[in-house]
Amino acid sequence: MKQFKSMAYPYIVWISLLIVVPMLLILVYAFTTTGNSVTTIKFSLANFAKFFSDVIFLDVLRRSLLIAVATTVVCIILGYPAAYIIANAEGRKKFMLILLVTIPTWINMLVRTYAWMGILQDDGIINTVLSFLGIGPFKMLHTSFAVILGMVYNFIPFMILQIYTSLTKMDKSLLEAASDLGANRVQAFLRVTLPLSLPGVISGITLVFLPAVSSFFIPKLLGGGQYVLIGNVIENQFLTSGNWNFGSAISLIMAVIIMISMYITKKIDKGESMEGGVKK
Amino acid sequence: MKKTIILSAVIAALAFSGCGSTGGGSSQNAVEKYGSDTLKFYNWGEYIGENVISDFEEEYGVKVISEYFDSNEMMYTKLQSGDSYDVIVPSDYMIERLIKEDMLQKLDLSLIPNMENLADGVKNLAFDPENEYSVPYFWGSVGIVYNHNNVPEEEVEEKGYSILKDTKYNGRIYMYDSERDSFMVALKSLGYSMNTDNEDEINEAYNWLVELNNTMSPVYVTDEVIDNMANGLMDMAVVYSGDAAYVLSENEDMSYSMPEEGTNIWVDSMVIPENAANPKLAHEFINYILSYDASYDNSETVGYASTNKDVLADMSGKGGEYEGNEAYLPRDNYAKDEVFRDNEFLRQKLSELWIKVKASK
Repeated sequence: MKQFKSMAYPYIVWISLLIVVPMLLILVYAFTTTGNSVTTIKFSLANFAKFFSDVIFLDVLRRSLLIAVATTVVCIILGYPAAYIIANAEGRKKFMLILLVTIPTWINMLVRTYAWMGILQDDGIINTVLSFLGIGPFKMLHTSFAVILGMVYNFIPFMILQIYTSLTKMDKSLLEAASDLGANRVQAFLRVTLPLSLPGVISGITLVFLPAVSSFFIPKLLGGGQYVLIGNVIENQFLTSGNWNFGSAISLIMAVIIMISMYITKKIDKGESMEGGVKK
Repeated sequence: MKKTIILSAVIAALAFSGCGSTGGGSSQNAVEKYGSDTLKFYNWGEYIGENVISDFEEEYGVKVISEYFDSNEMMYTKLQSGDSYDVIVPSDYMIERLIKEDMLQKLDLSLIPNMENLADGVKNLAFDPENEYSVPYFWGSVGIVYNHNNVPEEEVEEKGYSILKDTKYNGRIYMYDSERDSFMVALKSLGYSMNTDNEDEINEAYNWLVELNNTMSPVYVTDEVIDNMANGLMDMAVVYSGDAAYVLSENEDMSYSMPEEGTNIWVDSMVIPENAANPKLAHEFINYILSYDASYDNSETVGYASTNKDVLADMSGKGGEYEGNEAYLPRDNYAKDEVFRDNEFLRQKLSELWIKVKASK
């Protein structure tokens, strides 16, 4: 056992270099302002004050959370049935379905998002087909529809795979027991399958919500720069404005919000499984 | 014909650098001559001729690694974070800032004999009066490209920039996603200098842009504007003249207008940053770009006004690629046109306000 312990050291070095140190830097940047010369660093809460005192930034934050929530909800609604179908498929078919879900993730996200621009734009594939049928054209690109579509498309595999895993781990004999005790299929699903798959849904939510709330290139490309989300503000502070302090402060605010929402989902998770336990 | 020009350029280059060995070609020679056989070139996207890089690589036996940026600010951040490049092509005001902050090397002009090919309008400008640090690459203006079937020419000429706020064209316009160019449009439309450091004027321009953002649903783009306007996706777009020249040559429904309120005359120039790994080869590259062939390829492909006076004359002259193209040649000596200067107050205000303009809806 002991000799294996030492194998963790590279990992610890790795994690402290690539995660802990950058996080500490963000923390330092967020609470300081730089003067004109590089050496003077002053402790300050000005970056946070700047963010919370500006209606525009708060609005951006609200919009980002809304879009991320919408994305997550759509991912659950579409992802759950998909995962259910895959989990209940047999052999080869199951393998093919999983492959279909994962194949797109082998291609770079940016490339796939560019492809959506071509599909959605005014003279894109959809509108060309529609105009052939005598309908449209519809303005789809540069709308919130396009932004949410892009996010759902990019992040839904995370949701499907999480739910799928928890569904396959489920003990099938529980369903037989339920039907023995007189439950019909709907009741068995609602009382047995759904509660047991909730941990998968919860981890799916974290995996979809987190990237959705901080994504910056999807709103930039599919929203045409009109849907500025918090990720875009952070990107702008780092790449264009060169105000790393303010950018770090916003990142920190986001990190806190995300931690709170994770804490809440964990709570719900625990509550739900306890409830399920009592009912059983 | 082309071969002989290239050959003589090589011979000339060799003669000037005082090197006796024959021809470039192998990378071994390049290492001997320049100390290294790779050049890191940091340029704007879609901003170089089709064969310029490959021709240069072949002739000198070197390898060029290109990276691209889409705003001066982005380039600055990257440079400041310690990345090393041999040749960069920033704009006027950014060069002024880089000079002020000691981030550029002084050029050895004896290694760039092709400087004599430069057009008059681009030499010795205020941001680098003696051309000690920078060699002009392209120059041009900023204006409005519009589809003259949907937007009448008289209306554009009469209203100038304020046509961008005409709600008739709601959802039909592209704005350029750059703080400088957008604020230039607003400040000029309001009749102010784009180099102002008057806070009230800047705030007024900010409100102008916020109003545009909220009433017109503009789409903010950078290089996508070129292909999208060439395909006629929108009715109007704020664009750089060279992109406009390309759009006009691709789509005859498009016209270009430089509003009477004045515009930004800009010059993008090649510079060698302080931390360049291979300044010798960088000089060679800059000299090469100024040659007739490379300048011609650049200007023909990209559509921007060449800084090489012969190319400029041939392109816009009779039988030239851009003959009669109103976007190709920058406007000369118009009193309301300005060149951007580096001004710390304006710089900070703009970078703070721009994201708020876009986020204001």
